[in-house]
Amino acid sequence: MRAILALAAKDLRILLSIKAGVFFTFIWPFLVAIMFGVIFSGPSEPGSKIRIALVDEDGSAPSKEFIERLDKAGRFDILRTSLENATALVRRGDRTAAIVFPRGFGEAAGRMFYGAPPKVEILIDPSRKAESAMLEGLLFQQAAEGTQKIFADRSASRDMVRRALNELNSPAGPPAPQRESIGRFLGDLDKLLQSEPQQQAGAGGPNWQPLVIEHKEIARVRTGPHNAFDVTFPQGIVWGIIGCAMTFGIGIVSERTHGTLTRLQCAPLTRSQLLAGKALACFASIAVVEIGLFVVGRIFFNVRPTSVGLLALACFAVSVAFVGIMMLVSSLGKTEQAAAGAGWAAMLPLSMIGGGMVPLFAMPPWMQTVSQISPVKWSILALEGAIWRGFDLREMFLPCAILTVFGIACFLVGTRTFRSQS
Amino acid sequence: MLTLRNVRKRFGNAVAVDDLTLEVRRGEIFGLLGPNGAGKTTTVHIAIGLLPPDEGTVAIEGFGPPGTPEVRRHLGIAPQSISLYDTLTGEQNLRFLGSIYDLSGPRLAERTDWALDFVGLADRRRDAVRTYSGGMKRRLNLAAAIIHDPDLILLDEPTVGVDPQSRNSIFDNILALKGRGRTIVYTTHYMEEAERLCDRVAIMDRGKILALDNVPALLAAHGGSPTLVVETEGTHLRIDTGNPLEELNRLAASRPIGDFRVERATLEQVFLNLTGKQLRD
Repeated sequence: MRAILALAAKDLRILLSIKAGVFFTFIWPFLVAIMFGVIFSGPSEPGSKIRIALVDEDGSAPSKEFIERLDKAGRFDILRTSLENATALVRRGDRTAAIVFPRGFGEAAGRMFYGAPPKVEILIDPSRKAESAMLEGLLFQQAAEGTQKIFADRSASRDMVRRALNELNSPAGPPAPQRESIGRFLGDLDKLLQSEPQQQAGAGGPNWQPLVIEHKEIARVRTGPHNAFDVTFPQGIVWGIIGCAMTFGIGIVSERTHGTLTRLQCAPLTRSQLLAGKALACFASIAVVEIGLFVVGRIFFNVRPTSVGLLALACFAVSVAFVGIMMLVSSLGKTEQAAAGAGWAAMLPLSMIGGGMVPLFAMPPWMQTVSQISPVKWSILALEGAIWRGFDLREMFLPCAILTVFGIACFLVGTRTFRSQS
Repeated sequence: MLTLRNVRKRFGNAVAVDDLTLEVRRGEIFGLLGPNGAGKTTTVHIAIGLLPPDEGTVAIEGFGPPGTPEVRRHLGIAPQSISLYDTLTGEQNLRFLGSIYDLSGPRLAERTDWALDFVGLADRRRDAVRTYSGGMKRRLNLAAAIIHDPDLILLDEPTVGVDPQSRNSIFDNILALKGRGRTIVYTTHYMEEAERLCDRVAIMDRGKILALDNVPALLAAHGGSPTLVVETEGTHLRIDTGNPLEELNRLAASRPIGDFRVERATLEQVFLNLTGKQLRD
């Protein structure tokens, strides 16, 4: 074991003594994760719509008009559905929020300066404060536009004023202390509307507002990334790991071309110890990249794994896969240049189709199908499964098993070639 | 100490070692001479267990065949190419190589200090090997072969490309190792090195041993007769003779002798006599 540790320590020391190796193994992944995270976490495009579910329990003309105005506003991607389905959609994160027009909305909307105002409910995850505030503002805007429209329409305004005058003394009317003054105001307004048919009027009153919005909180089940860094940190990790595998794979070729392999083979080491030392060094470097990136992501970029245990499992499986790839890379050429060329020629396309550059979920379906052959895809899937996809142990099994089997197969092929080349 | 019997090794159709038998005695410096492609390095690699022979046997006295880790503990090799980690320091190289021979703690530190001092690199111990001169790298290559204090040391052309000072230093190191009772197999194609260092020399070509003995015996057997060079009456005479003294007396009886010398065969002449003068590339 001491010999294996000595071999691994030597390889790590060599890695640390090569500035380019340190940069591409330990610094570059951070840059990838942070740079793309910052890019992807920027503000949404101005034309993007808020995806909402809409429930019209009232079914009245005012609610339908309101919904029509919302639709025409062009700020919402509206799905009309039932309350139950809307709640489920928000819970799963498929819709940002649900807007509910409860029974009585139309009736309340017909009253002016008295009684309960029209009410809508917004169902939204409490953590989405920014979207909630924006949604509220947009609803107020639509409500105000509706009110403005009423006052701009002479006959509609007079109908509303006369209906209000008729209801003044009914139980649904305003409280007694305000009844007289509101009656006087409505009477004067009625006269005004008759005498100044095109005059527009503002709206207001002591207890009146165009819309009341109530919030109901629904905790969303976390099935999407919390932020862009949840996506870019696994990508950064994979790039760092690819760098490790390439560096150590080429390192084995260097041992051969520089003659140090001859010296090692003359030493009292078995081939297994020799390869174990290489594998351990590569594994340790990969672990440092993984742990380092997660610590930085956790502290500075709010990357929160859903399960630390599953994350450790994912990291282990990914490490096994890329240690195997390291061994395979070492057998791809008899010189460092040949091995590096062949290694990168293989890894770059695998990384591109595997989600190393463009996130898997953003790929077209055919490309997602092709990506099944890439270990990068399964690595990112495993890491994402533990970070934001909310995988359980059963769901984590497939990517981890594929990575482990792939790594062992690569290691065996690489070892066999190493033996024949040595 | 090291015995190879009827060893044969082929690489495809090329025969690298052909029915080679030799025995290296404990405590001697054994020279393995031959032109390029003679099979010296292959023989060394077979001797140390890096290559398995196709036929024949190899044995290290008291240990058996050299392929196992236990036997390798007693062997040290300075390969022909400088086999060091360029980006590590001289000390880091030796400490690593010592550690894979199970040295650790104070013993590892002691052996590292000794080896660096032995090859005259103690003051450069913390410099990266890539900053060393060719001669310094050769000396460190030798230090790496002896860090674990092996009984049998195989030096494969250890002075290639070094300046006279480093070469002389390496010679001193090798003689000092012999003085410590170590057995050394030394491959070279520099005849003067073999003459200066080796107790016995094997001249090999095309995978075979052509001659094996100590240098005087090789000179006597394969160098031809000495040449008596005499200056007399303004002329130089060159006479090949088996008995220069008797020939000189005979000449002196008949004419005045101005000057004379005896030219004996060198190992290089022996080498060329045995291996031929055609180019080997």
